[in-house]
Amino acid sequence: MLHFLRKRGLASLISLIGLVVLVFFLTRLTGDPTDLFLPIDASQEMRDQFREINGLNDPLIVQFGYYIGDLVRFDFGESLRQARPAMDVVLEAFPWTLQLALITMTLVTVSAIVVGSLAAFNVGGPFDRFASFVSLIGASAPDFWMAIVGIVVFAVGFGWLPTSGTGTVWHWVLPVAVLFIRPFGLIVQVVRGSMISALSSAYVKTARAKGVKSRPIIFVHALRNAMLPVITVIGDQAAALLNGAVVIETIFGFPGVGKLMIDSIMARDFNVVLAAIMVTALAIFLMNILIDLAYAALDPRIRH
Amino acid sequence: MITKTLALGAALAATGLTPLYAAEGDIRVVLSEELDLMEPCMATRSNIGRVILQNINETLTEYDTRGGQGVIPRLATSWEQMDDATWRFNLRQGVTFSDGSTFDAADVKHSFDRAMSDQLSCETPRYFGGMTIKATVVDENTIDFTTDPAQPILPLLLSLVTIVPEETPMEFTREPIGTGPYELTEWTPGQRIVLTQRDGYWGDAPAVTSATYLFRSDPSVRAAMVATGEADLAPSIADIDATNPDTDFSYLNSETVYIRLDHSVAPMNDVRVRKALNMAIDREAFIGTVMAEGTELATALVPPTTLGWNPDVQVPEYDPEGARALLEEARADGVDVDQQIKLIARTGNFPAVTEVGEALQQMMTDAGFNIDLQFYEVAEHEQFYSKPYPTNVGPYMLMAMHDNDKGDPVFTMFFKYASEGRQSGVSDPKVDDLIARASAATDDERAALWSELIAYLHDDIQADALLFHTVGFTRVGSRLDFTPTIATNSQLQLSQIGFK
Repeated sequence: MLHFLRKRGLASLISLIGLVVLVFFLTRLTGDPTDLFLPIDASQEMRDQFREINGLNDPLIVQFGYYIGDLVRFDFGESLRQARPAMDVVLEAFPWTLQLALITMTLVTVSAIVVGSLAAFNVGGPFDRFASFVSLIGASAPDFWMAIVGIVVFAVGFGWLPTSGTGTVWHWVLPVAVLFIRPFGLIVQVVRGSMISALSSAYVKTARAKGVKSRPIIFVHALRNAMLPVITVIGDQAAALLNGAVVIETIFGFPGVGKLMIDSIMARDFNVVLAAIMVTALAIFLMNILIDLAYAALDPRIRH
Repeated sequence: MITKTLALGAALAATGLTPLYAAEGDIRVVLSEELDLMEPCMATRSNIGRVILQNINETLTEYDTRGGQGVIPRLATSWEQMDDATWRFNLRQGVTFSDGSTFDAADVKHSFDRAMSDQLSCETPRYFGGMTIKATVVDENTIDFTTDPAQPILPLLLSLVTIVPEETPMEFTREPIGTGPYELTEWTPGQRIVLTQRDGYWGDAPAVTSATYLFRSDPSVRAAMVATGEADLAPSIADIDATNPDTDFSYLNSETVYIRLDHSVAPMNDVRVRKALNMAIDREAFIGTVMAEGTELATALVPPTTLGWNPDVQVPEYDPEGARALLEEARADGVDVDQQIKLIARTGNFPAVTEVGEALQQMMTDAGFNIDLQFYEVAEHEQFYSKPYPTNVGPYMLMAMHDNDKGDPVFTMFFKYASEGRQSGVSDPKVDDLIARASAATDDERAALWSELIAYLHDDIQADALLFHTVGFTRVGSRLDFTPTIATNSQLQLSQIGFK
């Protein structure tokens, strides 16, 4: 097991280094922040000075050297836009996204497994047809549309929920509900498909023949085997959420890392973009390792 | 049991949802953009200005967009021109900053030197381009400004310089200290900024006791927040959301949409081609369709409330046949009118920019132009917008938007039309001369020169294709007594807000 973890850790580290290099050069490719930070009629002297202060006059490779040097010391530099350490800005935003992702994925995982399993147990029955229909709609509905409809109906129409922002538990309901829909739709379908094949396998038939009751068959025997592909999808969806539920955070004025990343890319605030990517990448790598561990726990063959 | 749970839920919901107004005078304002800085010398940037200008940091003079009185006193009580180059400002006495220190001429000098310093990349120096200017303290309550060349509109220019205490360091601040009626009491990045009325303000205490600024980029969410009572004021909502005549105000917002033509590049270097382009556009057709009702057709790059705006200049008549004939005439003289011209626009520049771009392309094509419409993000658009212009992309025209709510064309004309202007497509000695003379003139002569320039640019050299003065929409909650003005785009004085 330790060997397995070491191997996964090393692979992740290589990817992380690749990401660092890629992100540095990609952000530089988007252009010169001087154009955005200074007034359009700024003098050449102002431009030169801004570039000098922010190290933009050095050749790209020298800038990269400084960047790696700083990174090793965990120094991500200052946010050009906010005039304070870039990492502080990111670390303020990240917990919001993390909470949003955790709450949403917990609700999605539990409900999708229950609904998907029940649908699979009676394929073609009314519940299965209903669940398939709802999950298909969920998997294909665009988030921004759901968000606006949610606000119009539940905040403006009924007045039950706040439109946006943070502050009370009620502020979480709409963003979580909107973020819930798509992964729920997808995972219900995967669980259903995976359970159908598990339920038709020989060991389930044997269990049935031995007189084991339905519930233990679904939730103990079949589910354990059906979970492997489901975990992969859960991992993908959770990574997408951690990466920043950009649209949802923007619409609901949620101060998370997705919104921060978009704002920073628009403003060419390179240091914040890099810090945000590093933090989310680390979180995603950690999550991938957890998923691998879950895989290994469910299927001993993977460990070897 | 279920009933009990529901009742409990409803009670909790009610506690969570009731707008948390601590007192009658507290309001919530929802803006489209989060503030990146709270730097007084950046107050001419609209998102920063809306929060701090005249609320936290005041200026010596103020341009009155509400009463039409022109430049009015604020921290200066009066001013006089000593000679061509020197203006003397008498300062208000008994004024203190929110940190308790006393306001005097040394603070004004420091604020001015700081805003103009090359140690900071402030916005202010852009308005003082092409001149040297020096502040000299005469005594505690008097300060002189000496300029070269003479600046007849110096009192107006000083309405853009916010005053900070002498102790303010030469670096960007996130904690502005000012003489205004409010002070910053909370700033949670990404969430809210709170200004609270302070004791010891020199003027009358405003009706609004505190203001909480929230930030939502989606216009329909901003509109919804006022509708549900979560906010009291939402400047700049979209026209499609401005559906309630009781709460939604439309007003000319000082933004002008235009197509800049580069007079040095063929075929736009031929005045017939530029004229044909102007005749090819059916401007009326946009209003009430893709542009909101109330949008006005532009004949100048400044709105009609500006000094020297010329009422005699007429919108070009829509005449596609005439445009074709002009193009034919140019073709006969060897001008390559068939080559492809890019029409470059900026995504998200204004609400219907895509539709406007597509319609323009269609209209121009109908009149015989060969147009390739291209949309760019702001940073890419900027490369086409400001000099040095790219030379390897072929001929292009650029759709853009310009904002001037400051009452004088000086903030527009040099930069957009002078040979040396950073965003100018024109190089014409008469234009340069008129700009120089008008910038140095006063009163009626100044207005007459600006009028002449506006007519010359529009009628004679067909400098560009002017399109619209756009309207903005603000939703004002039913508690407030407030009417937005042309200035609401760049500042939002809380002291002008009352309660019903």
